[in-house]
Amino acid sequence: MADRKMRILVVDDANLVRLYYRQILEEADFEVEEALNGLEALERLLVSPADALIVDINMPRMDGVTFLRALRRQALPLSSIPALVTSTESSATDVEAARVAGANFYCAKPIGREDLARIMAMFCGAPQ
Amino acid sequence: MPLIRKESDKAAAGVSRATLPSLGSASVDERWAAARAARDPAAIPSLGEALAHEADTRVREAIFTALAQIATPESALTLLPYLRVDDANTRTGAMDALRAMQDACRPYLPGLLTDTDPDVRLLACDLVREVGGADGPSWLCALIETEPEVNVCAAAVEALGEIADASAERSLSHCAERFPDDPFLGFAIKVIAERLRRLPLAARG
Amino acid sequence: MVETKLLDAEEYRRLCDYLYRHTGMSFTETRRYFVERRVEERMIATGSSSFASYFSRLRTNMQGELEKLINASTVNETYFYREDHQFACLTANLLQERLRVKLPGETMRIWSAPCSTGEEPYSIAIWLLENWAEVDAHDVEIVGSDIDTNVLEAARAGIFGKRALMRLSPALADKYFTPAGPEHWQIIDELRQSVRFTAANIVERAETRPHGLFDVIFCRNLLIYFDDASRRVAAENLYESLAPGGYICLGHAESMSRISSLFEVCRFADAIVYRRPPEAPHG
Repeated sequence: MADRKMRILVVDDANLVRLYYRQILEEADFEVEEALNGLEALERLLVSPADALIVDINMPRMDGVTFLRALRRQALPLSSIPALVTSTESSATDVEAARVAGANFYCAKPIGREDLARIMAMFCGAPQ
Repeated sequence: MPLIRKESDKAAAGVSRATLPSLGSASVDERWAAARAARDPAAIPSLGEALAHEADTRVREAIFTALAQIATPESALTLLPYLRVDDANTRTGAMDALRAMQDACRPYLPGLLTDTDPDVRLLACDLVREVGGADGPSWLCALIETEPEVNVCAAAVEALGEIADASAERSLSHCAERFPDDPFLGFAIKVIAERLRRLPLAARG
Repeated sequence: MVETKLLDAEEYRRLCDYLYRHTGMSFTETRRYFVERRVEERMIATGSSSFASYFSRLRTNMQGELEKLINASTVNETYFYREDHQFACLTANLLQERLRVKLPGETMRIWSAPCSTGEEPYSIAIWLLENWAEVDAHDVEIVGSDIDTNVLEAARAGIFGKRALMRLSPALADKYFTPAGPEHWQIIDELRQSVRFTAANIVERAETRPHGLFDVIFCRNLLIYFDDASRRVAAENLYESLAPGGYICLGHAESMSRISSLFEVCRFADAIVYRRPPEAPHG
């Protein structure tokens, strides 16, 4: 059992989405960090790695798929951080692109509260 | 002393001035130089044409910058189709450029807000937030009265939170009534309505 | 009387979000106290009775409030050895990385832009002489550029007041400066002669190109002041002014992530810097 809280990095352009996830995850006893786009997320992770990621596809500067590709090219531990990709679109192209880029899971928005907490717990290997 | 000083340094690398670089060149360097040099509205058609075929992400970025800098309604029009493409990278590049051109893309926003593609309507909400001007709040209030897609409503609500005032409250509660089962939208409207209520009366966004 | 707990967690995040979107400045929870104090200053200065009313003012950029807040947040004062962790990164990592790809005898070129009254380029010179073991083995060219010709004049004269030298040890001050009147010191001739100062507007390609390619660029606390379109152009100009594989350092709170996707982010022990990718020569 880890002594510290599991840290989730939420990467989404929308403030309200990040706030929504934050509330759910903090209630489930996770520590939450935020980034607005893939580039900012990469920088944050270089300074302090996260245990899991939630990544939106549509973000300015660097979209979710490009971000994942860049992330998987990094050294450990960054390259193996589990990532949940979310999108308002659910086209098969997007899902496939995300999977190929290195997503571990794909959810269409909006994500239900219980689903989010459950998936993050699964990623972090925490008992549910 | 190893610190040296050269009085003049004309060592500008890159394309020679003798020939004008072309956006259609086989050389990535030339296309980059061409995109960077394009500052005239007359270049818009070539920039649009190049954007349709350009595979190099950096050259594409430079083309987006050129269009953003020219910042005429015509340059905005050239970017609009790229809001629909499959490639997320290109979509976000087009959005960045449209945001940067401020007033020039405003005439197109009402049309985008009623586009048949919900993903385009969603992106339009974000543009309204940045460049919508004085009409932005009323456009978004009108949208959330009738918009069928919950994610588009959520984007509009977020944008309203940044640009509207307490007069948006009625439209926000109508929207909440239309989607009683959506936890995220309910959450979003509650947060934004509360925030707008706290705004001082004098502030009109 | 303004309370100490000025902003709740949500308000702080919204402010940071706004600053990031509009300037590229990136503040995290660790900078909370600093940011709150700056907001407090501005709230008092603008007579804002609540954060909500101040934030409205900021968002409509009433009376240039955004620039005023940025100014307050960047600690505008320039002095020697400011943000020297980046200089540490220079000698610990960046120069070595550059040497690996440079030809023998090739000059190492460093650009300080904006250079203001010269503290930054002269700091680089002093730092190299003091901290780079290989400094005598290589030719190093340092160029300082600014849009403001008045500050360039001052930079060439190289005379500084007490505050500018406050972070230098007495030993360093003695070694590299000579007294030039009460409370003023002039940088020694050898260093004055070794830095070249030029007038240049970073947003104007015609003014940046003639400077050639650099190995390392310091562009600190400038990009945050531009509008989006100008910022993109400036970033592209800086990219073009870097040799492939060359590095650029921004100000402490700035993040390239909001500004441009042309660069790669590199994490070193002392600093996060950005790099023009080695494989993609453009211009």
